[in-house]
This record gives sequence, C-alpha cells and structure tokens, in this order.
Amino acid sequence: MKRIHIILIVVIAVAIGVIITSITSASTTVTFDKAFANEGKEYQIKGVLDKAKAIEYDPIKNPNLFAFYVFDKKGEERKVVFNGTKPENFEHTDTIVVTGKAAGAEFVASKILTKCPSKYTNKTGPETAQEGVEPKEKEFKANQ
Amino acid sequence: MHDNTIQYLGEQLIWGKLGNIAIFVAFASALLSAVSYFLAAVNYQNDSERWRKTGRVGYWINTASVLSIFGILLYLLFNHRFEYHYVWEHSNTEMRMKYILSCLWEGQEGSFLLWTFWNAILGNLLILTAKNWEAPVMTMFALVQVFLGSMVLGVEFAPDLVIGSNPFTLTRLHPDFVNMPFTQMPDYLSKIQGRGLNPLLQNYWMVIHPPTLFLGFASTLVPFAFAIAGLWKRQYVEWLKPALPWTFFGIMVLGTGILMGGAWAYEALSFGGFWAWDPVENSSLVPWIVLVGAAHVMIIHKNKGISLAWAFFLGITSFLMVLYSTFLTRSGILGDASVHAFTDLGMMRQLVFYLGFFIVLATVLFFTRVSKFPRHEVEEHLWSREFWMFIGALVLALSAFHISIFTSRPVINKILGTNWAAASNEVQVYNMWQLPFAFIVTAIMGIGLFLKYKKTEPKALFKKLTPALLISLALTVLFSILLKYGVKDIPYMLLMFSGLFAITANANYTINLLRNSNYKIGASIAHIGFAMILIGALVSTSRSTVISKNQSGVDLGKDFPNNENILLPKNDTLPMGDYFISYRGDSTSGVNIYHKVDYYTADNKRPGAKAFTLYPLIQTNPRMGNVSEPDTRHFLGKDIYTHVTYDSKLQERERERVEGKKLTDGDGYSIPMEGTLGVGDTVFTSRNFILLDSIIPLNNAAKRAELDLAKEDIAIVAKLRILGIDGRNYFAEPIFIVRGSFVEPKDVTLDKLGLKFSFYGIDTQNNKAKLKIAERKDETQFIIMKAIVFPGINILWVGCLIMVIGTLLAIFHRVSKKSMDISA
Repeated sequence: MKRIHIILIVVIAVAIGVIITSITSASTTVTFDKAFANEGKEYQIKGVLDKAKAIEYDPIKNPNLFAFYVFDKKGEERKVVFNGTKPENFEHTDTIVVTGKAAGAEFVASKILTKCPSKYTNKTGPETAQEGVEPKEKEFKANQ
Repeated sequence: MHDNTIQYLGEQLIWGKLGNIAIFVAFASALLSAVSYFLAAVNYQNDSERWRKTGRVGYWINTASVLSIFGILLYLLFNHRFEYHYVWEHSNTEMRMKYILSCLWEGQEGSFLLWTFWNAILGNLLILTAKNWEAPVMTMFALVQVFLGSMVLGVEFAPDLVIGSNPFTLTRLHPDFVNMPFTQMPDYLSKIQGRGLNPLLQNYWMVIHPPTLFLGFASTLVPFAFAIAGLWKRQYVEWLKPALPWTFFGIMVLGTGILMGGAWAYEALSFGGFWAWDPVENSSLVPWIVLVGAAHVMIIHKNKGISLAWAFFLGITSFLMVLYSTFLTRSGILGDASVHAFTDLGMMRQLVFYLGFFIVLATVLFFTRVSKFPRHEVEEHLWSREFWMFIGALVLALSAFHISIFTSRPVINKILGTNWAAASNEVQVYNMWQLPFAFIVTAIMGIGLFLKYKKTEPKALFKKLTPALLISLALTVLFSILLKYGVKDIPYMLLMFSGLFAITANANYTINLLRNSNYKIGASIAHIGFAMILIGALVSTSRSTVISKNQSGVDLGKDFPNNENILLPKNDTLPMGDYFISYRGDSTSGVNIYHKVDYYTADNKRPGAKAFTLYPLIQTNPRMGNVSEPDTRHFLGKDIYTHVTYDSKLQERERERVEGKKLTDGDGYSIPMEGTLGVGDTVFTSRNFILLDSIIPLNNAAKRAELDLAKEDIAIVAKLRILGIDGRNYFAEPIFIVRGSFVEPKDVTLDKLGLKFSFYGIDTQNNKAKLKIAERKDETQFIIMKAIVFPGINILWVGCLIMVIGTLLAIFHRVSKKSMDISA
C-alpha cells in the first residue's frame, strides 16, 4: 500500500468521525412532551413567551436565577428556569428558543435565544413587524 | 391602495431614478462584459482582440455604475432622505455621522454593493496585470458581477418571482408599508424619523471590519478565476504563478477581516470573548482556512510539480465556500442558529442558483480535465518539505470540513427533514476537533521550513530542531505552571508546546536567513504570527476566569452554580477577584448610560488604594432594545473585561413603561405588598425577614393620649420584629385604629431599613393582622455585573499584526522580480 492510500484512509476516517459527532453532539428541536419524557437529556424548544404570566426575577435574592413561562408549538406550557440574569428587554420577547433539559416540573435552560418584534417604533413614523439584524435576536448563555 | 394623485412634499425622487439607472447599467454592462470576454477567450470569429476590448469597456462601465450606486446611496444616507426605505431602515438623524458608513453595509443590499465594489476594483487591477489571462479570468469576474448585480435589481418578473432587493425602494411603496395611513399624507416626510442603525454596529470596528472582510471575500475570486481559466484553457500549470500572490493577499486581508470581527465582538458585544463558533463567524473562517491550504499546495506544485489536483481543488473551493457562506447568512436558513444572520429578503432561490451555477461549472470543468493533468509518478520522500506541507494542507481541509459540517446543520435539516440543533456545549465539541488539528498544523509549521524539498537527512533535521524543541519545552513547562495547568489540561499543554515550537523554530529559521543576508523571511514571520494567534486564543480561553462571584444569593446546589454575576448596590464596596470594587452611580451621555465602577487594590483583605475605574455602559434604544457594552481594562499580560447584565433603574423604568403605571409612591417607596399575618407568622421582603411577635390592644394611657384617642376608640398594636441585613433585630409597632366609625391606621416607617408598615385591618375571628409593607426603592439601586479576566489575549492581537507583516513580505517577494527562488 502506498503512503497516499494510508493518508486517504485516515482522512476518510476523520471525516466520518466529524459527521458522526455532528449528529451525536447535536440536540434536537422538539416540543415539551418529548423533553419531559426524557428528563435529563438536552433538547431545544422553540416557543412563545407567555406574557400573561409573571416573569420571575428577583436580583437581590439571586441575580443568577430567572424564570418564565413558555408555550411550545403544540401549545403546552411549561415553566422555564434560566441560570443567569434577566436579559434586557426580555418583556418584549415574542419567539423564544431555549436549549436545556427537563428537571421535575421545570425546564432548565442553559441557553436562550430571544426574538423581539420591533413593533414599538416611533408613533408618527412607519411601523413594521419585519425582523431585522442583531439587536432583536439575542443569545444568552447560562453560567457554566 | 396607493393613491397616485397625492403630491408628496419634499421628496427627492431624482436620486432614486439615477440610482436605478445605475443599477440597471451595472447589470447590463457586466453581462456585456462577461459575454465579450467569453468570446475573446474562445477567440470567436478569430477576433479575440476586439472582443477583449469590448469586454474591458463593459467592465469599466460596470465599475463606473457601481461607484455611482455607492455614491448615490451615501448621498442619501448623509442627507437623511427617509423617503428611501434603505435610508429609513438603517439610519436616523440622531446617530453620529461617523457611523454613516456602517449604515451603508448594515443591510443585505449595501453589503452586496460593497462586495461588488471590491470586485470592480480587483477586476480593474487584473485588467491591468493579467496579460494573456485577461479574457478567461475576466469572464469569471464579469459573471460574478452579473450575479451580484442581480442581487440589487429588485425587478418583479412575475408575482412570485422578484429578482434581487432594490436599495432605492421608496419607503411609502415598500411592501411593508403600502397600506399604512402615513402613505396617504402628502407631508409624511416631515413627520418620519429613520429607524436607525443597530446600536451594536455603532462602533469603529464596524466601520472597517465589513470592508476588509468583503475585500477578503472578493480576493478569493482571483485564485478561483485563475484556476477555472487554467482548466478551461488547458494551461494546468501556468495559472499558479499569477494566482499565488493574490492568494497570499486574500489570506492576509480575509484573516485581518475575521480578526477585526473578533475585536468588534470582544469590544462591543457582551457574549464574553472574541470568538463563539457562531455559524456566521464560521462561514467567514472556512474560506480562509481553505485559502491557506490552497496557497501551500500551490507552493508545493510550483516547486515539485506534484499535488496539482489539490491545488485546483482548494483554489476553487475557497471561493465556493464564500458563496456557500453567502447563501447561509443571507437566505434566512440560519434563522434560529445564529444571532448574526441577515434578514431573509426572500432571495433563497436566487442564492441557491448562484451557488449551484459555480459549483456545477467548477465541478464539470475539473472532472472533464483532471485526467489530462501532467503527472509525476514519483512518491515524495517521507522527510521532504512537500510531504509535510501536503499533510498540513490536508489537516486544514479537514478542519474546514469539520466547521462546515457543524455550521450546515440547518441546511441538513432542510434537506433531510431532521431537527438537529446546536447543543449548549457546542463550543467544547468544536474545540475537541480543532485542538488536535491546530496541534498537527503548528507542529508541521515548526518542522516545515527546516525540511528541504525532495529529501532531508532526519538526523541533521533533528539536530537543527533541537534548540527550538528545548526552548519550547522549557517555556511550556513555565507557562503551564504559571497558568496552573493540571493533568486534565494536557491537551492544552500539547497545543502550547506545538505552538511555542512553531514560534521558536520559525524564529530560529528567520535568524538563520537574516544571518545569510537572505530576506525571504515572509513565510517564517507569517508562521510566527499564526502560531501566536493560536497561543493567544488558547491561553485566553482556557484560562479565562469569571471573577464576579456573587456574594449574596441562595446556593442552589451544584446544578445551579449561581455565581457568575455580582450584584453591586450603589456605594457598597465588595471584593471581586484581586480587587475591591464599588459602583458609584451612572451618568448619561447621549443614548449611553455609563456605570462608574471604581477598583481598589486588596490590602490585607481590606480595600486599599484606588487602582482604576471602568465604565461599562448600556446603550438605550427604545426602538431596537437596549444593549450592554463592555468596558475592559487592558494590562500587558491580561484584560479585565466587564459588562453590566442588569441595571435596576433601567429595568424599573422599562417595567413602568410596559405596565403603564408607576411602581413607586411619591416618597420612593414601592407599591406595598399586602398580607394577613397571624402571631408567629413570617414574611420576607427583598432584604429583610419580618416576624409578627404579637397582636395586643393598646391600653397604655399615655400612648392613647398621645394619639388623641377617645375611650370608645379601638387601637391595636402589631408588634413586628425585623431581622436587618446587618444581622441585628429591629422593631416596629404599627397601630390599627378605629376612630369613631373611621379606620385610621398609624403607620410606621423605619428609615434605616427603608421599610414602611401599615396595620390597616384585622381578622378578629382568627386574630390575624392585615398588613401592608412597602420597601424604599431608591436604596435598592444596583447593577449586576459580570467580569472576566482574559490572560494573554494581547498575544493574539500581536500575532495578527505579525502574520499580516509576514504575508506582506511574502507577497512582496513573490511580486518583485528579483525573487527568482521559490522557497516560500
């Protein structure tokens, strides 16, 4: 066997390894029922913030604990607990993507991505519901 | 519907008309140029020269049109012409004018224009320098200009088929606004304000990062165009020489552009670092890695005549990866995966077509020609430079492959219908692959230049490498001790060692060259710079420490390590890391709210002398949301990076706005909480713990007299005990009074604790007191801050500078005619 063949075999092996880890290391986007059926396994949930329910954040008691309620695509609602500070303008959030694990009755998020509709533009100016770049989409990571 | 009879006041429609003419001319002239250059390249009607001239004229017209579009759009931005949607969407009159350039490339249309602009410039340089290559190479350039031009056309061919997004669309005619009432007002222009530039982009890095990055993207087209031309004209080897300096140029510019993006993220964003493996960041890194691989394989071929297929493959792939990244970031497919992606403008099909066209073109050309490549059957020697350079390039290709696969999950989901998403430990998974890749690449970089082409005597080689090996080993031990690397950090130590080895070996090589008055030091200098970037990244990320441990707060166990953000009440002095810090209050400057945080040295566990002050800020933007921007104290060996994650005052203001009511009474007390307490019951406020000791009638005659109570009036005292934050007990006795038939509670205020009590009712059956408790708000003004120490981050920035210098030297030697030798 020529050296180039050995190299090619190694390259192909690494490439296959990359593809496999890209699948095994990924979390899947699911709904709450699946996440709560597999407690402790990491999932991603895309949903909508329940604005009728209170956003729980008491920085003086604990600046790193923050909780809110999210409806998933099927309409199931769960309490989501995030281990970090409450993001700026969280109240305006509409769509929210949370990554984390179910624990008991709560979903413990380690990462949240918020998307705010920028509807609150100048009263006299044009109003738009168009999604834009950056500030309306933000990502927050929990403390490691 | 829009009423055509309305005479709008103050609109300047001429600029939009001129702009649209320029857009159309740019598109048409690029098409003309592409066709003419193509005909010149195939020597149509044996009149290559005439077609070439037509191609040139077409390209020049295209360049002039692109410059006009650019100029008009800048004019409109500078003059706040909000009748144009692009101007309205990306600027306003409140922003500082020095960031107007950022507005130009904030949107998709503008950044396509930026790319077209650089293609125009580079194309003109190639017209001047490409000589025989002009026709086929410029065919590619003009073709790309056709595609890029189509991206800003904004022509509706069918109701469902709009080609491009036009930057000169009028606000009142924009699809988002057609039915809005303001479009019916003749004087609407005097009433609207622009939406404004994203506050995060109002940063000087954002003025220079996009142009640099897009120049880098544009320069990947040069090796691509030459490679395609080489395949097309069957000049399989000749294309390498003119393409190589441009490849180096692309490496330098794109690399700088990427790191400028990192510098912006580090300075203006609060995700805590300069790199986050975000899909958008990745998609600019991948073409760069491929380009570096391409350059090295091209050098191998120039010297040894081998690996030609790889030179073609990588030279072509770099540009294709630029197109792929354009597709990823602009089609909206990254949606939930990235925070940086552009808005979806419905150009998915167009982008797929664009990408597909060049992939098919390159693939077909490559596979129809590959069997004709000149071949060298000799296998390269194990201890030869070409062999290890090739391995290095392969590892780079694998590294790019890994990043691409991970970044492509949303695309894979779309095709396979899966639901894969990035896990929260994604960064670790990236590092798990990239760390070994970086190890191999740096190790090869260290050995590489000491190897000769063809064959090197291993013994002599190791003798030459001994000093570098010893020095880097010693330094690794030293740094590992300084950085407290333990057994689980062995991967870091290995990369540290290979990186230091690359630096010392290349430094050694540079000195050897200079001793012999040989000034071809570009390659070794660039290698030193690159290894420094990797070491800077390694040190600063592996040993970045969050020093803002929270002092108060409830411990929730190991599943909830709640200690990364520190709460700083105004004027309290708290320990943090090696310092004591104190939040002194905020000050407002324009839209920015600066938080003054004083740092004191720690002196025997007590605050000592004042060391410095940082002003982490929050940019308020009611339209787009407030953003927190870090402030960083730079030291030679480390950075202290801080940002405010929560500002009580701002949050209060925001809540009052959202809920539409005041949250405090006139004295600065909160709207009180109400509750019914029995004897022995307790209640928590945000700072205190309150216990109801007893409920007793007020019988003391002196006190009754003091309250001016008649005999039949009822007075009942609630005896409250309050545990203060200082650990002491405080007492309060609010009194419930019924005077005649009126309830007149006698309230108690404890100024020291900032508490107000009102005993306003009584549950006689259960002997319970109805109490209102209010807290003073002004005392609770505080910020929550996160602080991270990044050691050694300056190594990274210095490394970037050195790499640029090295690459410049390499380009200089390639271009200068004296350089006949080809040791890169």
